[in-house]
Amino acid sequence: MGIVFTRLFSSLFGNKEARILVLGLDNAGKTTILYRLQMGEVVSTIPTIGFNVETVQYNNIKFQVWDLGGQTSISEIGIVVESGNIFIETSSFLPEPYWRCYFPNTQAIIYVVDSSDTDRLVVAKEEFHAILEEEELKGAVVLLFANKQDLPGALDDAAITEALELHKIKNRQWAIFKTSAIKGEGLFEGLDWLSNTLKAGGG
Amino acid sequence: MSGHDSKYFSTTKKGEIPELKEELNSQYKDKRKDAVKKVIAAMTVGKDVSSLFTDVVNCMQTENLELKKLVYLYLINYAKSQPDLAILAVNTFVKDSQDPNPLIRALAVRTMGCIRVDKITEYLCDPLQRCLKDDDPYVRKTAAICVAKLYDINAELVEDRGFLDALKDLISDNNPMVVANAVAALAEIQETSSRPIFEITSSTLTKLLTALNECTEWGQVFILDALSKYKATDAREAENIVERVTPRLQHANCAVVLSAVKMILLQMELITSTDVVRNLCKKMAPPLVTLLSAEPEIQYVALRNINLIVQKRPTILAHEIKVFFCKYNDPIYVKMEKLEIMIKLASDRNIDQVLLEFKEYATEVDVDFVRKAVRAIGRCAIKLERAAERCISVLLELIKIKVNYVVQEAIIVIKDIFRRYPNTYESIIATLCESLDTLDEPEAKASMIWIIGEYAERIDNADELLESFLESFPEEPPQVQLQLLTATVKLFLKKPTEGPQQMIQVVLNNATVETDNPDLRDRAYIYWRLLSTDPEAAKDVVLAEKPVISDDSNQLEPSLLDELLANIATLSSVYHKPPDAFVTRVKTVSRTEEEDYPDASEGGYSESPAHTANIGASSPATTSNAQSAAARQPAAAPAPVPDLLDLMGMDNNSAIVPTDRPASPAGPPLPVLLPAPTGQGLQISAQLIRRDGQIFYSMLFENNSQIPLDGFMIQFNKNTFGLAAGGPLQVPQLQPGSSASTLLPMVLFQNISPGPPSTVLQVAVKNSQQPVWYFNDKLPLNVLFSEDGRMERSTFLETWKSLPDSNEVSRDFPAIVINSVEATLDQLAAFNMFFIAKRKHSNQDVLYLSAKIPRGIPFLIELTAAIGVPGLKCALKTPNPEFAPLFFEAVETLLKS
Repeated sequence: MGIVFTRLFSSLFGNKEARILVLGLDNAGKTTILYRLQMGEVVSTIPTIGFNVETVQYNNIKFQVWDLGGQTSISEIGIVVESGNIFIETSSFLPEPYWRCYFPNTQAIIYVVDSSDTDRLVVAKEEFHAILEEEELKGAVVLLFANKQDLPGALDDAAITEALELHKIKNRQWAIFKTSAIKGEGLFEGLDWLSNTLKAGGG
Repeated sequence: MSGHDSKYFSTTKKGEIPELKEELNSQYKDKRKDAVKKVIAAMTVGKDVSSLFTDVVNCMQTENLELKKLVYLYLINYAKSQPDLAILAVNTFVKDSQDPNPLIRALAVRTMGCIRVDKITEYLCDPLQRCLKDDDPYVRKTAAICVAKLYDINAELVEDRGFLDALKDLISDNNPMVVANAVAALAEIQETSSRPIFEITSSTLTKLLTALNECTEWGQVFILDALSKYKATDAREAENIVERVTPRLQHANCAVVLSAVKMILLQMELITSTDVVRNLCKKMAPPLVTLLSAEPEIQYVALRNINLIVQKRPTILAHEIKVFFCKYNDPIYVKMEKLEIMIKLASDRNIDQVLLEFKEYATEVDVDFVRKAVRAIGRCAIKLERAAERCISVLLELIKIKVNYVVQEAIIVIKDIFRRYPNTYESIIATLCESLDTLDEPEAKASMIWIIGEYAERIDNADELLESFLESFPEEPPQVQLQLLTATVKLFLKKPTEGPQQMIQVVLNNATVETDNPDLRDRAYIYWRLLSTDPEAAKDVVLAEKPVISDDSNQLEPSLLDELLANIATLSSVYHKPPDAFVTRVKTVSRTEEEDYPDASEGGYSESPAHTANIGASSPATTSNAQSAAARQPAAAPAPVPDLLDLMGMDNNSAIVPTDRPASPAGPPLPVLLPAPTGQGLQISAQLIRRDGQIFYSMLFENNSQIPLDGFMIQFNKNTFGLAAGGPLQVPQLQPGSSASTLLPMVLFQNISPGPPSTVLQVAVKNSQQPVWYFNDKLPLNVLFSEDGRMERSTFLETWKSLPDSNEVSRDFPAIVINSVEATLDQLAAFNMFFIAKRKHSNQDVLYLSAKIPRGIPFLIELTAAIGVPGLKCALKTPNPEFAPLFFEAVETLLKS
């Protein structure tokens, strides 16, 4: 009975639930962002083998946030077949193979970029665009965090926009924010944007 | 699950899996929980719900303990079938092992230990390390057991991470349950390891003895079992230990009691003071007696153990024989064991009581039990000289009942009594003879005939009695025939009159000419020869005084007894067999030591005539040759060698474990290329194989001709790859009926034949005695695949792109089924076909592999198949597509097997 009421209330008062994936290369800061959002503090993290899932309540929206490990598994590499020719890409242009299980019913993606890791921006770009290609994520809005702004040499949001070729994104709402998960900067601004977009029916 | 959750087991809906999948991904917690319950229910009744793996694992991070437990249960069951996805669970384990709730921490560490997936074990070490040092004893004790489990999966990892030391530290833990589990884990690890890992020192001893008093009953069993392995330094220490352990004898749990008894018995060996020993024996009696008031199954276990204890220390239960008297409602297996112990405890003091019991048992209805009771009387007679007469009178009384099987059994034991006490009780023979006609069992008949023969001079009508048996001589079973033969000879020697003389003629004739039994025939011939050459000598031999027997039919060897006593309260002491007789333990010996290949240069041979008999002889225990093991390339380590049997034929040094090689069915013989009829009795079997980067011709020569053969030589005709012998053929002289196998090293590009590639290999073999033999063999392309055929992915891609499409050839193998990608890849890797990448294409798996044949010709291979469905498509791209037919032939042979 109680549950029925809760559902009723949430639909009446706009208390929405949203499923959000936090993606990005390894060491981008996904897990730190997740716990900064959830607990408001910095936890020490180790590379995530597997996933974390937490619920974050913000602006009347209950975000169910999935943080998927960015570790490239060694045994699998991607192969595409185009008109009979094989192309094997050695970079992780494909998202982690198991990520796909998490794509259905996703309203939003938070893509985290390590702004100071300029060497791998190309890889991040490829991965990011590959994710956007995914059929099951066609309807998801995209929030980019240009993370690690606290580090020297970190590129700003404009540079990241450039590097990730965000102007190519069509038919999808997106936004990019400068963040520092360690200092807690920029995260909630991003979440504000996300909740507003979702409430407006973006998700 | 609560009681009404049984409803989850009853569902008949179609399309269950997609429905469950949807529910598992529901945004509502309660719905997800229900779905997981449904999944578990389906799993329990045997439905395959492994395809829901990720969906279930996604429900793992939850506050709800019940849901978490269910997901863990699912993981334990399916992680093995989804090793790639199991990695998804790692982070949750890491998190849960730091959860504030100790129950969750322990649950995580326990589940981690149950997931036997190599890929993730490494990730689980950190959480385990933390849990071993956890503040909560419940977590620590669970972690201790987890170390033992991990050791079973990856012993090296456990040692590298220092978990063994952590376990040893836990022995000093302040919580007795943690101590007990650490001991249990260490003991289990010790059992699988050949090195000493866990040895109790005097300081750990004190800790264990302290913990013993405080931990649970099963913890006590672990500690007692560990303590029983401790060798006290002197009698004093042994006494002290025993004193600390004695209170355990009063425990309600019979496992604790038996373990305590075991421990005390072992320490007693060191105790010299007879007073102390006597005291201890007194203390052990009541608990053992108490065990017999438990349910019959436990009684049986107790009785089997008591049987051993009584053999070692009869005094313990000497006064308790009454508790072993059979009750009418005891199950038969308990009765039988009780009888056995009664015999062991029977003494001059209690024999009257015991005989009364036995006599009563002999009138019961269960035939086996009755027989055993009668036999027990006989064994008591043999054991106790002073009671023998009383025993015999009981037996005679029983014979008078005239129950057929009682009479027969009695006669069998009376024969033994006659052997034990010669010339004492022969007066009863007349009574025995009365029952002669009723005998129909071989053993009873044989016994009776023995008695008649042995005492022929005292039985007036011995010849008549024997004659009545002789009529049916040819139909009698061998043991009766043998006795009849001997008895007739005895009769003849004792009464060399006409009647016996005729009888002996008949018997000897029957036993030599008419019989197929070699034992009987040999014995008859010996008698015949003896009687015909020197009847006096025959008398000395046949009528010689016989040694007196004693009853040791149910006594165990002292060394075996000691071993069994050290295993009291285990299955070993119930079976009365040492553990290694029925448990095959895999000691953790690294693989390279187990396997041994002859050096490439050796090309050794063996003269083992029994070619296949070596399979049994080659056990992992065989000493190995470290040098050649080291010479092997590590890449080839997990790879099954092409054929198994030629290895078996190698010298005995080559210790090969047949079960280690899943790819080769046990014992496919080398193909016969020159059958014996064609080769005038010489049979040659041979096959090309690759080992350690070298091609060998593995050959087996069998000489079925009548003459010894020597001077073997071999020649290969020109062939596509120019294969030729790399050295002389090493075959020793072959005696008729013997065989020899050899490995002939081969070299390439010696005598290349022009023309299109072909697998034909023509071989000529000659020896000094016979004409030259020619035969054809096949050259399997896979022996040419070199160990350096692995390609970088980028090289693979470039090569693929650079080759024109005309260089791509493909073929379908409709009959080949791939059941597991990994197994297939392993199989192919064994033949130097290296895995590059794989992808999914609709329901099919596409595998990319590379291989290389000499002169650097690369093969780029694409295999397409749906798992478990017949049909494999193999595409090959290579600069030399003319080799494709040979390649397909090789692939087909490899994957078909």
